[in-house]
Amino acid sequence: MLGYICRRLLYMTPILFGVSVVIFLLLHLVPGDPARLVAGIDATKEDVEIVRTSLGLDRPLPVQYVSWLGNVFRGDLGRSARTHRPVTHELRLTIPATVELTISAIAIAVLIGVAAGIVAAVRRNSAFDYSSMIVALLGVCTPSFWLGLMLMLLFAVKLDLLPTTGRGGWENLVLPAVTLGAGAAAIIARVTRSSMLEVLGTDYIRTAHAKGLSERAVVLRHAVKNALIPVITVIGLEFGYLLAGAVVTETVFAYPGVGRLLVEAIEFRDYPVIQGALLLLALQFALVNLVVDVLYACSDPRISYE
Amino acid sequence: MKPLKCSGLLLLGWLLVALGVSSPALAGERVITIAQYADAVSLDPQHTNDNASYSVEKPILEGLIGFNEKMEQIPQLAERWDASPDARVYTFYLRKGIKFHDGTPFNAAAVKANFDRVRNPENKLRRYTLYKVISQIDVIDEYTVRFTLAEPFGAMIATFAHPAGGINSPAAVQKYGQDYGKNPVGTGPYKFQEWVPNDHITLVRNPDYWDKANDAKVDKIIVKPVPEDGTRIAMLQKGDAQFINPVPYSMADVVSKDKNLSLAESESVYTFWVAMNTQKKPFSDVRVRQAMNYAINKEAIIKAVLRGHGKPADSPLAPRVWGYTPVKTYPYDPAKAKALLAEAGYPNGFKTLLRGVAQTDPKEVMVAIQGQLKQVGVDVEVAALPAAALSADRFKPLEENRGEMDYAGWSPSTGDADWGIRPLLTKDNWPPTNFTIGFYTNPKVEEHVRAALQTSDPAKRKAAYAEAQRVIVDDCPWVFLWVNYLLGGSRANVGGISIQPDGIGFYRSVYYK
Repeated sequence: MLGYICRRLLYMTPILFGVSVVIFLLLHLVPGDPARLVAGIDATKEDVEIVRTSLGLDRPLPVQYVSWLGNVFRGDLGRSARTHRPVTHELRLTIPATVELTISAIAIAVLIGVAAGIVAAVRRNSAFDYSSMIVALLGVCTPSFWLGLMLMLLFAVKLDLLPTTGRGGWENLVLPAVTLGAGAAAIIARVTRSSMLEVLGTDYIRTAHAKGLSERAVVLRHAVKNALIPVITVIGLEFGYLLAGAVVTETVFAYPGVGRLLVEAIEFRDYPVIQGALLLLALQFALVNLVVDVLYACSDPRISYE
Repeated sequence: MKPLKCSGLLLLGWLLVALGVSSPALAGERVITIAQYADAVSLDPQHTNDNASYSVEKPILEGLIGFNEKMEQIPQLAERWDASPDARVYTFYLRKGIKFHDGTPFNAAAVKANFDRVRNPENKLRRYTLYKVISQIDVIDEYTVRFTLAEPFGAMIATFAHPAGGINSPAAVQKYGQDYGKNPVGTGPYKFQEWVPNDHITLVRNPDYWDKANDAKVDKIIVKPVPEDGTRIAMLQKGDAQFINPVPYSMADVVSKDKNLSLAESESVYTFWVAMNTQKKPFSDVRVRQAMNYAINKEAIIKAVLRGHGKPADSPLAPRVWGYTPVKTYPYDPAKAKALLAEAGYPNGFKTLLRGVAQTDPKEVMVAIQGQLKQVGVDVEVAALPAAALSADRFKPLEENRGEMDYAGWSPSTGDADWGIRPLLTKDNWPPTNFTIGFYTNPKVEEHVRAALQTSDPAKRKAAYAEAQRVIVDDCPWVFLWVNYLLGGSRANVGGISIQPDGIGFYRSVYYK
């Protein structure tokens, strides 16, 4: 297993290299002159040219890419074109915030989603099954900016239980984490339910019942464990999406995360920040995938990577 | 059950992390929290070109001359000044006994160091071109400093009042070097304390402020970037923020109808317009341009999109800009517009393109214009582009520029007529150089604009700009639309805070009632 993990980590290098080339090319294909955007609307051409040379954008593209890549290997992602802060500093400030938010959101999503999915499957066609699946459908369909604002109006403004915005104590995390996790919880619930239904119909579950095991033992010890593979897959995927896709939630709750950093950088064509942030997100995505694969092996002894 | 155990651990970890970062507030402190639409980019005024940054800099840094909340020039660090009649030599007499927040004395040498820094192209500061006209700075005595310009520039006093003219402690500039923009040190009523990017900036009261009449009235100002409109309103309603900048027009009623809140409305120095490409048919014909001015119902759009928070423009300049002269507003008269179009050879109208930024209000405005021009037979295609793509499209030179009609707005950040006309309506400022996006030129306008820069005599300058405005309104290179009002929202127990006419937050006088 250790050898497998090392191999997978090694494979990430070409993936990240490919990602960096694609990001770089895409950035230069989209219209928008970063020098003009940084210099501002009322800047003269002279101002714009000063910005252009100071950002090194007057050099040929391959030169820009190679010099950026060289710096990346030295651990230097450059400085933001707008704020002049080192990109590594910007990421150090925002990544922990986003990871904190995403982990909270996925934790909520997993707790609610898996539990609801299991109960819905066990009590198939019951009122709980129908109502939880309808709620799950609503959860998938609800846009997070709307849900976020509604939760804020209810719990922060009307009931005065939680703060509206910002990063700080646990109370600041509740609303954004629920907002971010709602969609994922819904998907996880639906996948858990269908996977459980499939397992509950198998012969060995009937055997377990026949042995006289309690309902609880049948479901928790035999069924859930075997139903987990698709659930882990979807949790891994959702986790990756949440990391990169927290931007709407972060904007609504004025939460200082990497999604907001990235969107602002894109708006101003702040190349160093975009490149650095996307590279890091790609790395996180790859790592999450690896963790998912390792979890497969943990939950199903038949899966082995040796 | 391994994965479930894992998520339990994650949850526990989350709780531990979350509990550890709560921050206590000191009892009895008077704190004002402001939610503004964006974070600052830099707090070095010489390297700043956005209003979000200037809003935070203003309570920290003061200029030789400043603006009050109506954008009228007031003496700040200079007691008085004089200008040579030929607009080339400007002398400032400084206030005595003022110290920067780091203890460095404020004097003529500090002023010289500031402007020497910004006008040196090697420093690559974003406000270089604003002050590059200065050719020499002389320290006459400890509290007198003289600027000599390379050429006459009648708008220089206004340029000193520009927020980029905020005076920084030379010692701090030296100390922080490249990172000065994160550690500003000025002479203002508030001192910079902390900046957590994308989260908050904290300013604290300067107990040694020199101007006791305008002393800081709260202990702390915390500025938070909150990009989402609805979130800012919720923060104000709950009291998590005492002031929000801005209140979107569509939510103005929510604030004004709530007895715990109040709406701070200020008339801006922005004019909004549609520039027409005067070098291309059909807009090279003045009758077509006049027809467009008659065909658009400004009052109706002000009512629908700005919810009444604006008034029709009667000049290329807004009334609060120094040098403004009211000329006239083209009334809504579609019949006259049709007649003018027929006279110009377009009895059946024509097809054209209207560019603008892809944001809610501008899009609504463009669609309204599209509908109104349809009434006179003009078929408008609306191109709403993201800001970056729009600017790339607009700043192409004439030969490559596909522009026909462009919806835009502008505020002269010096508060002076020069910066409200010259970058927008003169040949030297055609793209890619600057923002004359309709490629307009008129020898009379060029002459008046030049004349106004050759003198420092306010009466002569005003007369020249008045003439320029008359010519421009008659020649209508733009469809003149409106001057808007800027809306801030505050808690009812808070006063002394608003948005300045140029869109910069006016935070320094804030107090609890």
